[in-house]
Amino acid sequence: MLEISALRKVYEGPGRRVEAIRSITFDVGAGELVCVVGPSGCGKTTLLRCVAGLLPASAGEVRVDGVPVTGPPPRMAVVFQEYGRSLFPWMTVRQNVELPLKEKKVPAGRRRELVTGSLEAVGLGDVSDAHPWQLSGGMQQRVAIARAVAYEPQVLLMDEPFAAVDAQTRADLEDLILRLWRDLGVTTLFVTHDIDEAVYLGQRVVVLSASPTVVMEDLKVDLPPERDQLTTRSLPRFGELRGHVYRQIQRARDQR
Amino acid sequence: MTGALKRGWYGLAGLGGLLALTEAVPRLGLVDERFLPPATRILGTLAAQLATPELWIALGETLRGWALGLALAFCAAVVTGVVIGVVPGLRALTSSTVEFLRPIPSVALVPLATLLFGPSLGSTLLLVVYASFWQVLIQVLYGVAAVDSVAADTARAYGLSVWSRVRHLVWPTALPYVMTGLRLAAAVAFILAVTAELVIGSPGLGAEIQVAQSSGAIPAVYALIVLSGLVGIGVNAAVRLLERRVLAWHPSVRSEVAA
Amino acid sequence: MRRPARLLTLLALPALLVLAWWAVSGGSFYLPSPDRVGRAFVETWFSERLVVDVLPSVGRLLAGYAMAALLGVGLGVPIGLSPRLRATLEPVLEFFRAVPPPVLVPLIMLLAGIDTFMKVLVIVSGCVWPILLNTVEGVRALDEVLSDTCRMYGVRGPSRLRRFVLRGASPQIMTGLRQALSIGIILMVISEMFASSSGLGFTIVLFQRQFQITEMWSGILLLGLIGLGLSVLFRRLERRVLSWYYGSGAARA
Repeated sequence: MLEISALRKVYEGPGRRVEAIRSITFDVGAGELVCVVGPSGCGKTTLLRCVAGLLPASAGEVRVDGVPVTGPPPRMAVVFQEYGRSLFPWMTVRQNVELPLKEKKVPAGRRRELVTGSLEAVGLGDVSDAHPWQLSGGMQQRVAIARAVAYEPQVLLMDEPFAAVDAQTRADLEDLILRLWRDLGVTTLFVTHDIDEAVYLGQRVVVLSASPTVVMEDLKVDLPPERDQLTTRSLPRFGELRGHVYRQIQRARDQR
Repeated sequence: MTGALKRGWYGLAGLGGLLALTEAVPRLGLVDERFLPPATRILGTLAAQLATPELWIALGETLRGWALGLALAFCAAVVTGVVIGVVPGLRALTSSTVEFLRPIPSVALVPLATLLFGPSLGSTLLLVVYASFWQVLIQVLYGVAAVDSVAADTARAYGLSVWSRVRHLVWPTALPYVMTGLRLAAAVAFILAVTAELVIGSPGLGAEIQVAQSSGAIPAVYALIVLSGLVGIGVNAAVRLLERRVLAWHPSVRSEVAA
Repeated sequence: MRRPARLLTLLALPALLVLAWWAVSGGSFYLPSPDRVGRAFVETWFSERLVVDVLPSVGRLLAGYAMAALLGVGLGVPIGLSPRLRATLEPVLEFFRAVPPPVLVPLIMLLAGIDTFMKVLVIVSGCVWPILLNTVEGVRALDEVLSDTCRMYGVRGPSRLRRFVLRGASPQIMTGLRQALSIGIILMVISEMFASSSGLGFTIVLFQRQFQITEMWSGILLLGLIGLGLSVLFRRLERRVLSWYYGSGAARA
């Protein structure tokens, strides 16, 4: 569904060049949930912006369902890290979720259905007329997730969506993502710097090196598909996988 | 750095474009030269004017009225603002009066100034002081209100006197606001200084423009307008520099309060 | 605070000031007592002057102000959206903003003559700069994440302009509009003081020249009330347009 091949990104400033990404290649199959981890500053966000079509790649290409990405693809949704800044403060929660659907010219009845359904799915059915700034950080991120879900995307990108919320909220949101992913079967690329989170959520974990970035390892997470904060995280295999990824990232950092 | 340099070039190109346009439009006859003299003639007139002592005297008069009025208004507003802020209850008592007097346009005082002072520095001062006083006062009031209540309680608990409370707590907290007020007031004061000269005839740049206009010396009118713009830029830059100097130590990077 | 107590704090100082005015004004030529000014106010302004002088003045102000707003926002948005255009035009615009607007009055009088058009033009030419520059600044500072969000979800064209650009820049646009309003009032008055045979500014100066001091004071009072009224109206509009902004705590005041 999502193919990234030999993607390269060099930032060209006046008088200086920074090679952020050297070469990244991996696929995400239809309905798969793949996590990308890497040391901080390794160009995770650059990768995601290239995949989303927000940033032109210097070389290589990204394909969604076989179609090369040149701008934001029509059936792709993104949840940004900065939840506070990705919601329109002058719109209510409902209007925020509804806006992309209006732009897509979804008929009003169907629109209402989608908005209500997705807000209920993230547990915000009763605050739909509030403004985003009246909600807590975790709730704001839920609104952003509801907006992505209501859009009915083929591919869902998440850029460290839980980096700025507290630990308890984070665990809740992780389970929310797993549930939505399972219910909707949407192809998901989840970028994070948190190794635990990557192993817990992903069917596969792609480990990136330090910048200029290459793929260090494409790891299959052989944990049972039904996951649970308590039991999954206490499985010995979970510990092994986490340790493995941790060592890889440690190695990536040292190489720099 | 290089980005800033590039922007600088673009800016120069913009200014050059403006000059070229004002040169070309009258030369090509698109607009009558009598109404819009070419840029070179405007700048030439300006240069010729700058060679005369009269212009410098007028400029000095304008800046004197501006500086004096601004200083008076500033001191009065700071003292008033701090007193209102520090004395309990005074703020509530004065708010309606402040809210009523503040929006009164200072040009409403033009006839009064004419009557009381005639075409002299006094008229300029009356208008300048009235207009800039409110700009500073409002910011001082915001600043005094911003003093953290916990810090205020601490100060009271340790038995600081009113004077040291003002000096060590209220003043440093309010300072960024005070400087914002000064910056806003400086621009307003310049506008009102020129207005007084223009309308009442107090000596200064405004009066010179009035004279040039009534004698139909259009290039001179343009030249003086350009000069007033340059002075305006200078005034703004000077106050900004002062603001940065004064607040160099201050941790807060403040944006403007909606006033 | 309870209602009567609140009312008392609101009215105490103004009442005191009026009393002081009364006490000072006894017998002074330049400062007539408040009751005389009040009577002159009613006699002077609730007459045909309201229709001949006051309303046309305010109408010109509003017309010029509205045109300046359209022009300032209309030009400010494209300039703010294009970094190159902004870098090119910013020094030029800063220069125009630094020119004290009243000096444009004699110039525009020379160019456009002495009529309604000239007075409106004066107001437009003075009000447009703060609106323009603040719009540029507001559009420039639009949130990048919101901008990316728009791109991702296919919000573009007029919808992007209406739902994102103008709304996002509205706090700065309102700041510009507020600055422009006070400039507009100044220009309304002095364009009429300068060269006119009617209008509020003209009438007040006429009173002063004829030493009709009480009427002159009533004119000052009227100008004050117009300034107050417009600023109250403006604040209402601002509260409405920017309710989200004040609610979100992004504004300090």
